[in-house]
Amino acid sequence: MSHVFLPPDLDRLWNILEENPGALLYAGGTDLLVRLRQNPLKPPSLVCLERIEELHGVRERGEEVFIGACATHTGLLADAIIRDNFPVLVKGLACLGSPPIRNMGTIGGNICTASPAGDALPPLYTLDAGLEIRSRNSSRRMALTDFILGPGKTSLQQGEILAGVWLNRHPPFAIHHFEKVGQRNALAISLVSLAALLTVSAPGIIERVRLAWGSVAPTVATSAAVEAMLTGRPLSRETMDSAIPLIGDAISPISDTRATARYRRTVAGNLLLRLIEVDRRCK
Amino acid sequence: MKNAKNGILEIGKATPRADARGKVTGAEKYAADYYGDQLLWAGVKRAGIPHARIKGMELEGARNHPGVLAVLTCRDVRGSNRQGVIRQDQPVLVDDKVRHCGDAVALVVAEDRPALAKALDLIAVEYEPLPGVFDMETALKPGAVLVHEDNAEGNVLLKGELKTGRGEAALTECDVEVTAFFEVPRQEHAYLETEGGVALLREDGTLEIVVSTQTPFRDRAEVAKALGLDLEKIRILAPYCGGAFGGKDGITVQTLLGLAALHCPGRPIKMQWRREESFLAGVKRHHGRLHYRLGAKADGTLHALDAEIYYDTGPYDHLGGAVLALGLEHAGGPYRIPHTRLRGWSVYTNNPLGGAFRGFGVPQVAAAMEQMMDMAAARLGVSPLEMRLKNAVRRGDKNPVGVTLTSSTGVHECLALLAGQELWQERETWKAAARSFRLRGVGLACVMHGMGYGPLVPDCGNAKIEITEQGVFRIFSGVVDMGQGNAATYLQIAGSILNQDGDHLELVQPDTGKALPSGSASASRTTYTFGNALIGAALALKERIVRRAAALVENSGGGEDFTMAPGALVHRPTGQLIPLPQVARILDEAERISVFTFQAPVAAERPTADQNLQLHGIPHRIFSYGAHLACVEIDELTGKVEVKHYCAVSDCGSIINPQIVEQQIQGGIAQGLGYALSEDFIVENGRMATPDLSAYIIPTAMDIPDLGTFAVELPEETGPFGLKGAGEISMDGPLPALANAVADACGVRLFRYPLTAERVLQALAEKRGEGTGP
Ligand SMILES: Cc1cc2nc3c(=O)[nH]c(=O)nc-3n(C[C@H](O)[C@H](O)[C@H](O)COP(=O)(O)OP(=O)(O)OC[C@H]3O[C@@H](n4cnc5c(N)ncnc54)[C@H](O)[C@@H]3O)c2cc1C
Repeated sequence: MSHVFLPPDLDRLWNILEENPGALLYAGGTDLLVRLRQNPLKPPSLVCLERIEELHGVRERGEEVFIGACATHTGLLADAIIRDNFPVLVKGLACLGSPPIRNMGTIGGNICTASPAGDALPPLYTLDAGLEIRSRNSSRRMALTDFILGPGKTSLQQGEILAGVWLNRHPPFAIHHFEKVGQRNALAISLVSLAALLTVSAPGIIERVRLAWGSVAPTVATSAAVEAMLTGRPLSRETMDSAIPLIGDAISPISDTRATARYRRTVAGNLLLRLIEVDRRCK
Repeated sequence: MKNAKNGILEIGKATPRADARGKVTGAEKYAADYYGDQLLWAGVKRAGIPHARIKGMELEGARNHPGVLAVLTCRDVRGSNRQGVIRQDQPVLVDDKVRHCGDAVALVVAEDRPALAKALDLIAVEYEPLPGVFDMETALKPGAVLVHEDNAEGNVLLKGELKTGRGEAALTECDVEVTAFFEVPRQEHAYLETEGGVALLREDGTLEIVVSTQTPFRDRAEVAKALGLDLEKIRILAPYCGGAFGGKDGITVQTLLGLAALHCPGRPIKMQWRREESFLAGVKRHHGRLHYRLGAKADGTLHALDAEIYYDTGPYDHLGGAVLALGLEHAGGPYRIPHTRLRGWSVYTNNPLGGAFRGFGVPQVAAAMEQMMDMAAARLGVSPLEMRLKNAVRRGDKNPVGVTLTSSTGVHECLALLAGQELWQERETWKAAARSFRLRGVGLACVMHGMGYGPLVPDCGNAKIEITEQGVFRIFSGVVDMGQGNAATYLQIAGSILNQDGDHLELVQPDTGKALPSGSASASRTTYTFGNALIGAALALKERIVRRAAALVENSGGGEDFTMAPGALVHRPTGQLIPLPQVARILDEAERISVFTFQAPVAAERPTADQNLQLHGIPHRIFSYGAHLACVEIDELTGKVEVKHYCAVSDCGSIINPQIVEQQIQGGIAQGLGYALSEDFIVENGRMATPDLSAYIIPTAMDIPDLGTFAVELPEETGPFGLKGAGEISMDGPLPALANAVADACGVRLFRYPLTAERVLQALAEKRGEGTGP
């Protein structure tokens, strides 16, 4: 017999997890329930995190912001702290799924699914997100980049949950950019995406830059080499053209029915060119 | 009594459709909403292999599983075990061999869905895999693997040739000739309501099936033959479909449900395909390969066309032959071309099953022909609009298959209206305003679409209308409403003739036990044919009622002095009101019912002596027309095509309800934009590579711009209140309009569809000379 548990608090959650070792966690269920559909013959027991108050909301703590793992995308899109401080995340979430999916889906679910196409992930990589991992007896912090190991693989252990995300309150970048290329304008799995944070000086020199690509490698891709190449150079076509060849080393896209690796590779580079436009619009 | 003027259903008035409220509130029941006491569930074991012989089946495990009532195979079928509209070549349950992955090999009936799923899983089938044939070129080669060994024509289901004038030989007389090869994808219907229904074998031996279908009367005959039953013992009920688009034009679950019911009498049995099963076993728009050569004189006059078209019908006819025939007939578009040779092949393969889909073979040829027009125009140095205006047919002209157009022909009017649109007039300014890394283009397409069944199969409607003792008019619809709104239009037609409001009209959904056979909901003929029949039935009933009412009023002065009003008759000279129930009560039961038959006229000419092509529908007599305009923007960095503006002008005759026509035109455009941009049912070695809605990409509301729709409203003399078909025509335009717009934007044309970002980016790169960036 399979059960669905709806613990109201963390204490009850820990008990349930101990008593039901095979049970699966979920928050919005928009990833998990789709996966379960593949094998309707053996439904596992499910534990829903949605009712646990501590896992919700956005809170300011000194120079940091804490986002509860069960915060929904819709909730975050409407949140003043998120809107003011992390436009790159807002832009990523705004093109995730569709309104009903954003109403149900959570940031924690997007992270734990660990898909290279997760739309919250490139923004969170550029923001140097930290994660809070909890179990009955411990609470630890780790970098998002260390948490995600591969497609669908995280360093979460049995008995642990993701409690939330920590971000620096004032990311030192003036320009927040996110672009997703999908097969249609909504309900699209990203073929390639790019999150970019930039600060550009008055004469047009790139002072600081962070970049992260989605869907072009087993995990979100970053490139210190590209960032180094761009830093200190003018935000121009020439600069971008010289940086694009370096991206190749950072990515290893696949081919599937949605797009070929070759397309993903080309577009991963081309999306950098958009930054030239973005800059003009921001000024 | 209510204010008489307000609620009366009038012809030509935009009226919210009668089915809207019930549907949005959930009150209306689709077949998927039918259950029943002590319900059983039926499900199918699908082959999952494209071509194989069955060596053995292990059924005991499934039979012994708790909750399983029946596990059935072809041995349990007592009839022909064959279904199909023209050629019966598709088994209900596989007997000789498996011909595609979606074939049904066994049927299970169980108490509940978990038991059903488990039992299906327990069935083990041992196959002897056979080499498959997965592309049309291979299928047509001598010595190819045969899909049907007994087919005299090898892997050809139907081939046809139509020739006018000197045919392809006249190409040598042309000043310019353009040649191209086009490849169009399979398209999935993706209706909200997947295939499903509920069947019950009653104690008296009646088999009752409530099913999501476009063809209740034909289904009855098919079920009877396939299962070896008496047609009179079968009753099919067809509620509103939650979408069908041709995919329910013929048998889906009916024979399987019937078979299940025969083995489990007295209990209702439900079958509902999962989305994945619908993708696997349901029919698709035919994948097409089209070779075109079009020649014109230096002054821009079209002179000759040679077209060769191939449609992949998969393993069975379904309606593949008829689809090919309609494609052939429309291969030259709405133009005067004196010399044509049009050849087509419908080819058997072990790919997913091709079948009817809104457009029925025309979107494929329109995609090719409308681009040939632009290519020829470019060679001649004239605008795409001039090229079309110069060659578009007028009433009295012969169309490209040599048939004289004797009915309303409004393609010029459509083009003229389109040419006046700001989108067309200001196109160069709009294109020049593109931002950096963006390219803009504008494209046109002109389309025609034949209505009805063609010359041999009688296209008949048999309307039946009754006045109840309560004084309500009850229409027994003979043609399914699959969402296109014909049921609401039937109410409007009857309401206008009888001067009634919605409260005094009622519609009974098609039911072979109550309605009269009136053909399929297809071929853009539902409102034309049944509407004409309904007019006859309603007028006769009106006359009868008025005559009888006259007898109730002293010195009434006869029927001419009466006017009908909602729920009553008014004697004008005296102002006396006679409530309808009073009149209804003096009519006997038979008199309260009025029936009328209408048979659609057919073309007088026969462009071919080939009886088989005539049987498959060539030629048509009445056509609808349209002119489409698309404005696209291409992102040079990603190749993505964004439709910024779209507008369509249609000639569908006069309009009964502008709201419904607009919905039809817009829905067809949306489906056509999906076909043009993203929908690609990919098949690799007979297996689908896009097995669900996350891989098969239909457009969302975010992908469709505001759609401008206009009508020229030329009355069609034979149509009910002047209308012609509006259900399919708008599906034909978007792919060519977009392809032409993309070519305009990029300066390079794409010949494979859909126009995915990747293909467009690739084309841009090739044009630029590989390597250099945008
Ligand atoms: C139609 C559709 C469209 C979609 N479109 C997009 C899209 O455009 N972009 C995109 O990125 N995603 C998309 N998704 C995927 C999904 O909606 C998102 O990844 C969403 O953020 C998942 O959140 P959830 O709460 O629903 O996850 P769930 O399904 O509840 O959980 C997902 C996984 O994470 C685990 N998990 C969840 N929360 C926790 C926690 N707090 N601690 C430990 N483990 C946890 C679960 O065990 C499960 O393995 C789409 C999904 C659907 C069905």
